[in-house]
Amino acid sequence: MRETLDTVLRKLRNPKVVNGIGLGFVALVGVWLIVNFFKGPAEFVNVALDGLTRGSIYGVVALGYTLVYGILQLINFAHGDVFSLSGLVASTMLLSVLGLTGDSSNLAVVGGIILTLAITVPLFAVVNATIERVAYRPLRGAPRLTPLITAVGMSFIVSNISLALYGVDYESGSNLIPQGAAFTIGDIRVTWKLVVALAIIVPALFVLSWFVGYTRQGKAMRAVSQDTEASAMMGINVNRTISVTFFIAGSLAAVAGLVFLLEYNIRYDTGFELGLIAFTAAVLGGIGNLAGAVVGALVIGFVQSFNEGLTWFAPGGDWTRSIVFGILIAVLVFRPEGLLGEQTPEGA
Amino acid sequence: MAVDNLVEVTKLRKEFGGLVATDDVDFTIPRGSIVALIGPNGAGKTTFFNQLTGVYKPTSGSIVFDGVEVRDLPPHAITELGIGRTFQNIRLFSQMTAIENVLVGMHCRLSSGIIGSILKTGKVRREEAEARDRARELLTYSGLPRRHGERAGNLPYGDQRRLEVARALGTNPKLLLLDEPTAGMNPQETADFTAFVRRVRDEKGLTVLLIEHDMKIVMGVSERITVLEYGAKIAEGTPGEIQADERVIEAYLGKGAAA
Amino acid sequence: MSGIAERAKELRGNRNAWLVPAMIALGIVYPFVEEGLRNLPVIGDFMPTTGTLVVMIAFTMMAVGLNIVVGYCGLLDLGYVAFYAVGAYTAGWFASQHFEQVTFHFGSSVDNDQVGIHVTMWVVLIFAGLLTMLAGIVIGLPTLRLRGDYLAIVTLGFGEIIPQVVRNGDSFGGFNLTNGTFGIAPIDPVGFPILSSIGFFPDNFQTSDNRERWYYLIAFLLLLFTIFCSVRLRDSRLGRAWIAIREDETAAAAMGVPLMRTKTWAYALGAFFGGVAGAYYASFKSGAFPADFYFNISVFLLCMVILGGMGSIWGVTIGGLILAYLNFSGLSTIGSKIQDAGLDFDPTKYQFGIYGIIIVLMMLFRPAGLIPERRHKIELEEGVHDTPFYDVQTEGALTDRDRGND
Repeated sequence: MRETLDTVLRKLRNPKVVNGIGLGFVALVGVWLIVNFFKGPAEFVNVALDGLTRGSIYGVVALGYTLVYGILQLINFAHGDVFSLSGLVASTMLLSVLGLTGDSSNLAVVGGIILTLAITVPLFAVVNATIERVAYRPLRGAPRLTPLITAVGMSFIVSNISLALYGVDYESGSNLIPQGAAFTIGDIRVTWKLVVALAIIVPALFVLSWFVGYTRQGKAMRAVSQDTEASAMMGINVNRTISVTFFIAGSLAAVAGLVFLLEYNIRYDTGFELGLIAFTAAVLGGIGNLAGAVVGALVIGFVQSFNEGLTWFAPGGDWTRSIVFGILIAVLVFRPEGLLGEQTPEGA
Repeated sequence: MAVDNLVEVTKLRKEFGGLVATDDVDFTIPRGSIVALIGPNGAGKTTFFNQLTGVYKPTSGSIVFDGVEVRDLPPHAITELGIGRTFQNIRLFSQMTAIENVLVGMHCRLSSGIIGSILKTGKVRREEAEARDRARELLTYSGLPRRHGERAGNLPYGDQRRLEVARALGTNPKLLLLDEPTAGMNPQETADFTAFVRRVRDEKGLTVLLIEHDMKIVMGVSERITVLEYGAKIAEGTPGEIQADERVIEAYLGKGAAA
Repeated sequence: MSGIAERAKELRGNRNAWLVPAMIALGIVYPFVEEGLRNLPVIGDFMPTTGTLVVMIAFTMMAVGLNIVVGYCGLLDLGYVAFYAVGAYTAGWFASQHFEQVTFHFGSSVDNDQVGIHVTMWVVLIFAGLLTMLAGIVIGLPTLRLRGDYLAIVTLGFGEIIPQVVRNGDSFGGFNLTNGTFGIAPIDPVGFPILSSIGFFPDNFQTSDNRERWYYLIAFLLLLFTIFCSVRLRDSRLGRAWIAIREDETAAAAMGVPLMRTKTWAYALGAFFGGVAGAYYASFKSGAFPADFYFNISVFLLCMVILGGMGSIWGVTIGGLILAYLNFSGLSTIGSKIQDAGLDFDPTKYQFGIYGIIIVLMMLFRPAGLIPERRHKIELEEGVHDTPFYDVQTEGALTDRDRGND
């Protein structure tokens, strides 16, 4: 009995079978999407654009996870909570310190956003790097489980700080952005939300890819991701490289926090779910692979929006978490290298 | 008369991406013999071992152990069939005691289940007592008569190596694989260990395959030697034959050394 | 008497063999001296009520169960709350009026005209354990072959999926499985339907005079049972296999330990006790609600295991009782004292921050816990061979994953 179960399982893990089932499933989803499209093309595109908005934010957060994982093989559980805190601090800046409201001029809002970013990005870069320095670095040589558990603890500490400072209230900056469409193409609405999100995120991604691809530190990061020992022997300061990675991840979290604040709303526990969704995206795209994180995030963004926005046989928002985790589990079990297949040194 | 081969390896091949670690190797181990696998560093000896024990899955080829094709089996199943091993860099359960290490080795030969263990039935108690007795015997046999309750990590190096063998013997193997068992030992320890290997084969009726760098042991204890270089078999024969083999000398000492 | 002394020695080791019977005696006696203790000056308010103790014990039981998974076998499980949920809902299904389509009574002490399935809680407890064990095996099959950090995330995922299923489970194709956000309530109480004819034993804890006491005493016995099983398992062939896997799973496999099967047993047995605890607690609370199950509970339980000492049964028990006490009673008492003193500070708001700090500090400074398991302390200080089984030097273990396990 056990033998038959094992043989069945082993057959199931056969790559050809897995890819077959995966493709079959994707085909089913494709059919579902096509039907929904034909039931309401404009609505479909609008939902997709909403997915683009979400996906781009997930992408920024997912990059934070994947950068840290690539270099330390550590799932930084606290990343999502740093994201939350940064959004909350951004709300203080925008709404309290700068006093912006729905009536403020566009120029003031833009200026406020820039000023806020100028403060939250460096601040949370430092916060993130400090977390690494204090909680993860001392455990570099410890068994793998230990820093992971520590990350869980750190996550709780950060989210509790958010709770202590901001309570259970939601903060939102969405009244700072014009509601509705920036422009329309027939019934397709390109919302201001999408424009603002892309306006902030796309430049950030450019800066990031320039940094990773063309600067010495960026090269160092890539080297350390591939082979820490060899990098050290080549004279790369591994500790500093890791710190830089955490700086960047913290910056990304701050950017994402601000955008999320402007698009939706944020409170102390927003980062938990969003963090898991973003991590799923990173795994889906191929953990350690930067382009993969963005691709995976867009896919998950679409999945969520389609799930919640389409009308024909859509499971609905109640099931989003389960669907996302289902994807995570399926990827890790059947295709741990993700879509863009980056081979981590130790495999899955 | 057909030789009774405990192990028959046919055209074994292992590729890691573009690297060929095992290059269509044919290999047999006659039952009851002591065979050595040698070769310069990087020749693929441990890779070969790992395929025999199921840690690596061969890219192609076949491994037949005692009549059973084992290339697709998981490691614990291969151990159950009768292959026991030690590791190149000692992998004892260092915080368990010596006797506990051997007891873990005996895992697949014992049958106490969950309910029985919780209730500590008579059957379980008996089996555990017998197991402990046997473990103590193995420890004494392996030269660790008074070390039972000591933490494995606290043992001196030579004793740790012996414990690894005792643990492997606990799996009740037909074939014992020893991966550089005398690395780091001084000449006296090495001589003792070599005699021990011969005793194990003679007294327990085992077959032994060992990877070694120390030529004295290799020439002294093995009945047949196989030489690997860059994953391929370049020579096979008795110690005398291998010592004179030009290819072997070249592999170890470079061209021009065979004179 | 000699049987108990021998048992005590076994449980604690040869020293302090009196400690265990003493603690057991203290535990049994507590409900009867509770009032007196709570009337003591200064510390009286900090004494937990018997009812609080029931909750504390339920969660400590879960921690001892989690200890089997995390402590013995070294598998980081961040989704243990799923087992609690399955156990609680099993009680909801088989000891309540939820399934009003049927009327089935078996040994239960509730009125015979109540609809629904009403099996006596004693059987339900066993059944909850078994069903949760099955859930553990099902969840374990695909996930236990993953390496440590991925395993953690996937268990977290299941810990999120199951409560979401429970929350949305009021219409699976029209069938109301879990009653959605309303949960299942009331759930039948525990009782002694047969023994009650003797007179002393109540046939229904709920309606008896000493509801809390009876629930507490049985909870206490259940905890002792869990600890007992845990000790026996630790010292058994299976326990050795778990610890070998924890230290070096490649070597363990080479020694004939079937990895998947052994890990699955750790998971399943951990699940069993979680299910029993969940079902018992649901009966005590007389309800199972989706709001009871959330990720933080899994971390809370993990914190107990870490504080007490991974793998150390007594450590986990004591660590569990301490944290559960703080969570369900201590922090709010401290809070009200602080507020009495005039400060507007509510420590209960920060409880998860406190647990986070405990986890981080323990990992940094005393990873083996307050009462370390003898072996684990050394492991954590000297490091282990914990590169996972599929760690292959040059190859990203993709083809090697298909090696199959057992």
